[in-house]
Amino acid sequence: MFDSPAADPALPNRFAPVRAAAPLVRFFARRIGLSVLTLLGLVTLAFAMTKFIPGDEAQVAAGPDAGPDQVEAMRARLGLDAPAIVQYLRFIWRLLHGDLGTSIVTYQPVLRDLERVLPSTLELVAITMVLNLVIAIPVATIAAAQGGRGLDALTRIAAAIAAGLPVFWVALMLQFLLGTLARVLPISGQRGFGVTVPNWTGMRTLDALLSGNPSAFLDASLYLVLPAATLALHFSSQLFRALRASLELAAASDFIAPVKAKGASTARILWRHALPNALPPVITLAGTQIADMLGAAVLVEAVFARQGVGAYLANAVAQKDTFAVIGTVLFVGAMVCVVNLLVDAILLATDPRLRAAELARGGRQ
Amino acid sequence: MKPLLEVRALTIDVPKGEGWMRVVDGVDFSIGAGERVALVGESGSGKSMTARALMRLDDALRIGGAIRFAGEEVLGCTEAEMRALRGSGIGMVFQDPMASLDPFMRVGDQVAEVLRIRGVGRAEAHARAVAILAELGVRDAASRSGAYPHEFSGGMRQRVVLAMALVAGPKLLVADEPTTALDARIQQQVLDLIDDAAADRGLGVLLITHNLGIVAGFADRVLVMYSGRIVEEGPVEQIFAAPAHPYTRGLIAAVPRADMRVDRLPPIDGAPPSPARRPSGCAFHPRCPVRLPVCVMTAPQLRPSGGGSVACHLAAAEEAMA
Ligand SMILES: Nc1ncnc2c1ncn2[C@@H]1O[C@H](COP(=O)(O)OP(=O)(O)OP(=O)(O)O)[C@@H](O)[C@H]1O
Ligand code: SF4
Ligand SMILES: [Mg+2]
Repeated sequence: MFDSPAADPALPNRFAPVRAAAPLVRFFARRIGLSVLTLLGLVTLAFAMTKFIPGDEAQVAAGPDAGPDQVEAMRARLGLDAPAIVQYLRFIWRLLHGDLGTSIVTYQPVLRDLERVLPSTLELVAITMVLNLVIAIPVATIAAAQGGRGLDALTRIAAAIAAGLPVFWVALMLQFLLGTLARVLPISGQRGFGVTVPNWTGMRTLDALLSGNPSAFLDASLYLVLPAATLALHFSSQLFRALRASLELAAASDFIAPVKAKGASTARILWRHALPNALPPVITLAGTQIADMLGAAVLVEAVFARQGVGAYLANAVAQKDTFAVIGTVLFVGAMVCVVNLLVDAILLATDPRLRAAELARGGRQ
Repeated sequence: MKPLLEVRALTIDVPKGEGWMRVVDGVDFSIGAGERVALVGESGSGKSMTARALMRLDDALRIGGAIRFAGEEVLGCTEAEMRALRGSGIGMVFQDPMASLDPFMRVGDQVAEVLRIRGVGRAEAHARAVAILAELGVRDAASRSGAYPHEFSGGMRQRVVLAMALVAGPKLLVADEPTTALDARIQQQVLDLIDDAAADRGLGVLLITHNLGIVAGFADRVLVMYSGRIVEEGPVEQIFAAPAHPYTRGLIAAVPRADMRVDRLPPIDGAPPSPARRPSGCAFHPRCPVRLPVCVMTAPQLRPSGGGSVACHLAAAEEAMA
């Protein structure tokens, strides 16, 4: 009597056992495998490029005062007398054993150096991403409720301007206005004189919290305000604009009138229906923003004199510190890969159609 | 007794450039409690606009005239009163079930939302949603209510949309071409479902369609709309047996019947006019096979005829002579 689901030609596999999680496991295994390959390619590229940076590693490692004999001895010690391909294979071999090599500048294992500089940058990028989402999503949704008037018009103009300002310039302006002129915020460094926290995670705000030291937390937070605000201004205006456009599309979908016909308020229509439909492309954008944020963080760290990946990498390139360069590139690349995986996971968790498509795809293989 | 719904001199203007364009031009009709009314007419005649105006679904439109529902003036309602009316006073089923559900929300939640909006608790709302889905023929309603719209076929989705329209117990069901987008073999099922659900609940129904073939077995009364106006209105038997308006005659002649080969259907020549270029006088005159000189100049008024009304100079003249 009723249309039988099995007989519906449009959806032949509707009752096929697609609920099994195996395709999802396969999906992520494939993505992780791809990430590893990407990272290998990245490392290879970085290795090749360091060979083109002018300068002599052996000279740097032996120090400026070393004579030719000492330099040659250092060259042999570092294995730099071997052909590049041999050096590369040796490097990969050690990499597979978790050894990123030793910096010729700090004489420390690169991994140890990264442990020192990476957390500060991660802290900055993480705070920026949180601000980014916390600003862009509500502002865009509230603005959308105004439908072109008032706050909507205002934020559109503001975001268009903010997205166009160079990050470097914003950093300098904020530093000048809020730090130098108004003297309300610290303008350089990452901690006040004499403030110490245990070095557990390397992120000062987190360490201060974990050690139960509110004044140190406040101190670390204050130092983060200007750099994070600089980055967040740029990225959240970008995200705002994408979400605002995406919300516009979602609000024009055919299913909105039926929701309204149920008696839903404008706020419910926006937050419960338009927003979930508008988010996927915005989540994807936020993921790609991470890579840009790391790049922009390097600039911002330089302006606000923060010890982070930026300063370390710049120094490593200048000194032809091969392993330091490759190690940094590898870690930053790995972070981008992890974020991409995370984005995929979020999209799969939130978009039922995508999940169904992926499950169906996996089921066919 | 006052009718459930009373529409008087309804006009609807859509924004166009600097000004407005009139797409519905003085529509009058009423629907009694439990009465079935079909609104028919070709594409673009303003059927959907009229239906959506009953619930004021479109903010950008300018709506004039009067819409009285259960004694209240809809056009005078506040936004909060409108929200209360939508869903529990009037329920609506839309044309394309593939597009009228939120792809990101489980169907059970979409049905339950109508009740949740009205303050019903989560568990009770869900139970009632499952019950009405089961009543409307969704098998395994309890587990299927956790599925997403893309996991349903068109016919099943239209049951979900119907459940959304009915779950809060409205008195009037507006169904805007509820079967047009469905497979031919499912159309009758969905129509029967609407028929049964409305009969069980004693609902008034406004069924919009451009398919007169489904009207005969469903409606008590028929409204024929052409270019933003009602041109004929009457009991369903009279409309089919003795259509008075030349346009209605054309529509009925075009209904496929078992005793007629499809390629012999006499279509109405020409296409309906766009609201921007509505002809003078009777809007149907360029296509009318029996038009009189007066038809080009003056628009005929809707006047009583038999058990209904008709807006046609010729029909009025015939009546006067009879
Ligand atoms: N948003 C809009 N803006 C401007 N004009 C519109 C809009 N929506 C509909 N119209 C016009 O209003 C007129 C009436 O449209 P309506 O959708 O009510 O027709 P309909 O009788 O439901 O036709 P169909 O059978 O195609 O659904 C049409 O001429 C259409 O072009
Ligand atoms: S009024 Fe004139 S043109 Fe219009 S339908 Fe009647 S006869 Fe035809
Ligand atoms: Mg329509």
